[in-house]
Amino acid sequence: MSDDPLVRVDDLHKRYGDEEVLKGISFEMDRQDVQVLVGPSGSGKSTLLRCVNRLTEFQGGEITLDGTPVTEMDVDDLRRQVGMVFQDFNLFAHLTAKENIMLGPRRVLGKTEEEAAERALDELDRVGLAAQADSYPAELSGGQKQRVGIARALAMDPKLMLFDEPTSALDPELIGEVVEVMEDLAEGGMTMLVVTHEMGFARAAATDIMFLDQGRIVEHGPPERLFENPEHERTAQFLERLTRLHGETR
Amino acid sequence: MADPVLALGALSADWRYVFGNVDYLLGGLWVTVGLTVASLLVGFVAGLPAAVVEVYGGRYSSALVRNVGVVLRGTPIVVIIMLAYFAFGISPAFLAATAALGFRSGAYQTQIFRGAIESVDGGQMEAARAVGLSKTQAVRHVVLPQALRRSVPGFQNEVTIVLKDTSIAFAIGLAELFTKSADLYQSIGHTTATFELIVFISAIYFALTFVTNRSLEALNDAVAIPGGKGR
Repeated sequence: MSDDPLVRVDDLHKRYGDEEVLKGISFEMDRQDVQVLVGPSGSGKSTLLRCVNRLTEFQGGEITLDGTPVTEMDVDDLRRQVGMVFQDFNLFAHLTAKENIMLGPRRVLGKTEEEAAERALDELDRVGLAAQADSYPAELSGGQKQRVGIARALAMDPKLMLFDEPTSALDPELIGEVVEVMEDLAEGGMTMLVVTHEMGFARAAATDIMFLDQGRIVEHGPPERLFENPEHERTAQFLERLTRLHGETR
Repeated sequence: MADPVLALGALSADWRYVFGNVDYLLGGLWVTVGLTVASLLVGFVAGLPAAVVEVYGGRYSSALVRNVGVVLRGTPIVVIIMLAYFAFGISPAFLAATAALGFRSGAYQTQIFRGAIESVDGGQMEAARAVGLSKTQAVRHVVLPQALRRSVPGFQNEVTIVLKDTSIAFAIGLAELFTKSADLYQSIGHTTATFELIVFISAIYFALTFVTNRSLEALNDAVAIPGGKGR
């Protein structure tokens, strides 16, 4: 069982009305893989991410998590196992950092107040925000908000973490602290599917990079190959442009 | 001069009539306050779930809620209260007035809560679902706590409207503040005190709305999320 890939995406098709945004995507992820998705806007990367935890439904193909098709899983159970980090953070505005992290464990996992609070403080410590436990989202910087967002997802002990452009809404000087947390996670063996333009992160942490354009995979492979020796001219151009824009943020 | 009897003696006969009947009027004041509180409660208990259904319900349930609201908001309150008391035979009059004002307020409160729910960023619901909360849990633990805070200013408005509209219970003879004042100025020999009585009870209505507004403003500050808006 554990020799099987953790995630298998097989010929995935997704339409919004008449417009097909994913046109047959297939790939696999083993445990501890860090898969980075890049591509121009509208290429379908965020949509692909949202299909995995069924924030959006797809029409054709199959996605399996640990051997079970996600469409056959209870949707809340699926999301319990798959953490998600959003571009706009989406922290619960009326709750403190600690309470943001506690909500899932309390209401979904049925943990006691004490257990959930203890876990929340551990996770805040892991992302370097123990001192901000009682701050409300509006009192935090963008980078701090995103780190709380990561801690919130981690507290559910997910098998897989989805990152939807986690640094795109951040001021440049705040990107580093978030990327650092993500690199620590990758090093710690978390399986991650990451939509990002941070080529520094991709080079340092990615097992594979997937270049998507217009709903299709253009090229897919380890970062060394895609950066140094890509098959397609388009891949080279795109990665070069991203590296120029987002390569050296630290 | 501090002697109240002497002070009253300096007033006109009509004002003396008003102050001589303060206890009688205050009896009506308590009915007014009770009717306001009961109606707002009925309106809240009906309006909050209705708003949730209107936003998150299926096509038919939200259409039903919407249409009932349109009818209630499109009917004069005096008609609703007469229907409640005379046509539907709800009795005693206090109950009929509570039902009429309560459900009409429910229709307006639905709009207050609906607007507040819709003003909560969609990302909040998405993030709640992404951690595995069910839709119901997400509404209860994430959307409503924020929406209710944002409803306070609109609710404040609704409280003052219901408070003043309790005077419509005059139409079914319920002995609230306005009806009691009418009893006084309609009694033989005292019709000249109409102006004084109306001024007096208007001051009471004003004092009530003033205190209510200040209290709800304090509530609004007390429940505000530290740091203001933000995700």
